[in-house]
Amino acid sequence: MTRILLLDDEANILNSLKRLLKPQGWQVDTFTRVDNALQALLEHEYAAILSDYQMPTADGVTYLQFAKQKQPDAIRMVLSAYGDRASMIKAINQAEVYRYLSKPWDDYELVAAVKSAIELYHLHRENQHLREENDRQRAQLKAREEELLRLEAESPGITRVYRDQDGSVLLKNH
Amino acid sequence: MNPSRPSPQEQQALSEKLEQANRQLMQSEKLAAIGQLAAGVAHEINNPVGYVYSNLQSLEAYLNDLFRLTEAVDSAQSLDDLRLIKHNIDYDYLREDLKDLLAESREGIERVKVIISAMKDFSHIEEDEFKPADLHRGIETTLNVVNNELKYKAEVIRDFGELPEIECIISQVNQVVMNLLVNAAHAIEDYGRITVRTRSTGHQVAIEVEDTGTGISREHLNRIFDPFFTTKPIGKGTGLGLSLSFSIVEKHNGRIEADSQPGQGTCFRVTLPVRQPEKNSHE
Repeated sequence: MTRILLLDDEANILNSLKRLLKPQGWQVDTFTRVDNALQALLEHEYAAILSDYQMPTADGVTYLQFAKQKQPDAIRMVLSAYGDRASMIKAINQAEVYRYLSKPWDDYELVAAVKSAIELYHLHRENQHLREENDRQRAQLKAREEELLRLEAESPGITRVYRDQDGSVLLKNH
Repeated sequence: MNPSRPSPQEQQALSEKLEQANRQLMQSEKLAAIGQLAAGVAHEINNPVGYVYSNLQSLEAYLNDLFRLTEAVDSAQSLDDLRLIKHNIDYDYLREDLKDLLAESREGIERVKVIISAMKDFSHIEEDEFKPADLHRGIETTLNVVNNELKYKAEVIRDFGELPEIECIISQVNQVVMNLLVNAAHAIEDYGRITVRTRSTGHQVAIEVEDTGTGISREHLNRIFDPFFTTKPIGKGTGLGLSLSFSIVEKHNGRIEADSQPGQGTCFRVTLPVRQPEKNSHE
């Protein structure tokens, strides 16, 4: 199941976001405290993380930077009531956020942003998965080629088989 | 008669002009202070507006579900059909959550209301008459206005004594308290404590704003009430806050003093008389 993390120091915000996201059927974990949200990163794997910008104990960018270390694949987003340049620049440069959303938010826009973040996450994961698969197959192929070369070096001609028209094997050395 | 000496009429006109300039300065400082607070206040309002707005849309979705159920009462073939719809719309969750949704939204609107009325209380221009006022109410109003400046910087402790109503221009006293609170928050580097203390001693009341900030160095301490003196970066302070606070307190026949330990914090004390002395007729 797709799991997402929401962090905001205000419980009412989290509740309204939960209501909004419930029909999507994701597992939504909400936190009002940064330390608990940090702990959660060690326990579950998240597809997307949406954090408030300013909170009493730590700011959202610091949290997201930490999340980037712990779960680099999780797509990071900020939901902030401040729309100032400085906070946006910090969020983009330091936490490499995917979206910067502002409060009050537009429900449709927010859901679309989370959806597309989750899609991106799955795409990344699939990409990574395919790359690993590709690497594995390539390694296999390489091993086989090396074996062929070894055999060929040991007994030249052994890796080539000549047949005549009715399919029977011909022995020939030239 | 010395021709350079102004006549009593001229003197009167000049002092009226000075008085007017002072009033304008005070008003512009108040507006500047509100301007600086505006970003913070917007944040305070955007939070509740954000969730109330979103909740309203969730409410609409809930109501659509409920209407689907009530409208099915006429068209359903059997009670089981109704039960199925009831189950499909997650009726139990809906019923429980509706209560929370409404309570939280009401709380949000309530908060916006408090902030707006605090701003209104605060920016009153017209009243400059001495009237008996409740200082605690004024302090609460001010705390509401500057809440966003404070809550990420400090825990605010209210240590209120019993106070009589005092004769003052409450909007101006609020402005002094706001200055002291914002200064206290600016003095704190990470996270600290701001204590607002009130005491009454018969004819006088004292308001103290104490912080656990960086403190004021000795050489700055005797300049803090000078106009345009500030150690804050450009854009953060006008250098007029304490100077105007000083003139407001003076106008109220009170005193304002600062006590500071560099590295430990600062305590500002404003002492105001409960009753203003009768104005002398020949003043």
